Amino acid sequence: MNEHLNEGQLRASLDGELDSDGLTHLETCQHCQMRQAALRTQVEQVASKLSFLSSPIDTSSLSKSSATSSAWHRFNQQKLIQKETSMFRKLFASPLIRYAVSIVLILTVILAIPGTRALAGELLNLFRVQRVAVVPVDFTGMQQLNGAVGQDISQLISNSITMKNEPGDPVNVATTDEASQLAGFNVRAPQDITPSRISVMSGASFAFTIDRAKAQALLDEAGRGDLVLPEEVDGADVSVNIPSSVSIAFGTCPEPSNEGEVEREMERETTTSGSPGRVYKDCIILAQIPSPEVSAPASLDIAKLAQIGLEFTGMTAEEAAEFTSTVDWTSTLVVPIPKNAASYEQVPVDGVMGTLIERPSDDAPQFALFWVKDGIIYTIGGLGSNAQKALEIANSLP
Amino acid sequence: MDETGAYESIPYRMKLSQGSTYDSFESLFRENWESVNRLLRRMIIDPAEAEDLALETFYRLYKNHVLVREGFNTRGWLYKVATNLALQSIRSFKRRQHYELHAGKYALEETPETEPAELFAKNEEQRLAGMALAQMNPHRAELLVLRHSGLTYKDIAQALELSPTSIGPLLLRAEREFEKCYRALAKEEET
Repeated sequence: MNEHLNEGQLRASLDGELDSDGLTHLETCQHCQMRQAALRTQVEQVASKLSFLSSPIDTSSLSKSSATSSAWHRFNQQKLIQKETSMFRKLFASPLIRYAVSIVLILTVILAIPGTRALAGELLNLFRVQRVAVVPVDFTGMQQLNGAVGQDISQLISNSITMKNEPGDPVNVATTDEASQLAGFNVRAPQDITPSRISVMSGASFAFTIDRAKAQALLDEAGRGDLVLPEEVDGADVSVNIPSSVSIAFGTCPEPSNEGEVEREMERETTTSGSPGRVYKDCIILAQIPSPEVSAPASLDIAKLAQIGLEFTGMTAEEAAEFTSTVDWTSTLVVPIPKNAASYEQVPVDGVMGTLIERPSDDAPQFALFWVKDGIIYTIGGLGSNAQKALEIANSLP
Repeated sequence: MDETGAYESIPYRMKLSQGSTYDSFESLFRENWESVNRLLRRMIIDPAEAEDLALETFYRLYKNHVLVREGFNTRGWLYKVATNLALQSIRSFKRRQHYELHAGKYALEETPETEPAELFAKNEEQRLAGMALAQMNPHRAELLVLRHSGLTYKDIAQALELSPTSIGPLLLRAEREFEKCYRALAKEEET
């Protein structure tokens, strides 16, 4: 090699990364040696400033193996929680959620009012919520909803539904009296805390007809041909009426969700390091809604459908049957929660028993408190770790 | 079979530059955890934050396991992702505030009482260096961190999908930009 080395080659030579031809030249070329020496000074100045990148770290407090084992344990915990949370959020952020209320109502949010069973000539059951139950679900078992099957299910639901009354955008109001007037029921709020926002969401109603053949084909496509829908669901007409609801926010809270908001929030959460739990850590939202009403043919075996739904999420037939047998499907709102990413307990609240669900997380703790009283479903939720505050608010309602 | 099982049953035939072969994600994790965590500990002064980012780094590899193939440079990939996460963290306004506020605190907590002044000065240099890296062109900052963390040109070239012969010139350009940013920041702080 007769040509002098370029700066890049000289830089590489300082790291011992120059090729053999270059090295041969450098050994005999005084000009290149002088340029290398000048470059060395410059490179050493930078190397000195970045020396912390290769300096020893004091990890003497833990032996190497125990530190790594501890990290591996933490990794597995985090992996499980992230996977479950991701599936949970994806499930409820998909187009499916547009009709999630109906899905939940049909499969799990069911109540029959004693004495009103014989509605419409004993052809229909009328359902309303009287209590809340929690079912821990392994949402990682529902990954099939991510692909074409999920889209097909959404499509089937869309095609089967006839909207009678679509919900409008949330409307902000100044007082609970105004909210009561607009929503059509007596809105309760704590007297000693000033809300940061009160909004009213108008109600919705829709009807749908179950096409058993198509629904069963989708189950088959999802690899769950072992789950067989009962014959009597075919052609069943179900109508759902969801009353207006009111949400009262305390602290700094995100704007009320509308379509697309959840997906944008998910995107924001995955692309930045500022989690909602940090951004809205003082946010608490009290929501209340009179029980939705569902009317369905009396022949529809809701418990059986619920069991199929639970098995679809990954529960074994035995687990699903055991859970189904513990729930009064005619009066219970069943709330699915991620099995490993959340915990729950029964708590006395507002004079009745409620359910407190918590998602413990260093980064984004979340909680939700549910209870039903006098035909109204109440929830208090937040993204921080203020569950105690939620209980105080619930117990201070007039 | 859940995702974990599926993943861990993948026969790991990828070779690291040092010749290691993994047959499970756990063995990959155990062999690389300490070096990735150490890299982040050097860049991020808060040890808890560094460990969170290290876990996130491995989680991203776990999620992207389809990328793992014969010849995949695991260590280079992990270092690259860890570096980016650290730089993002430093860049973030809130993080930067935290970085500035806590740089001295953690340094003093971990230092013998006889040397606080020296350590503070050293830590001040580290803080400025971190901020300079965060201000630079992200690709050049990434290259600098990988090289000064001890990766060979071959490892860097594989991780960044560059030609090994381009590393020298790119490194030189990155070092000049770093020096420029560092001096500007130091001058800014003097005034």
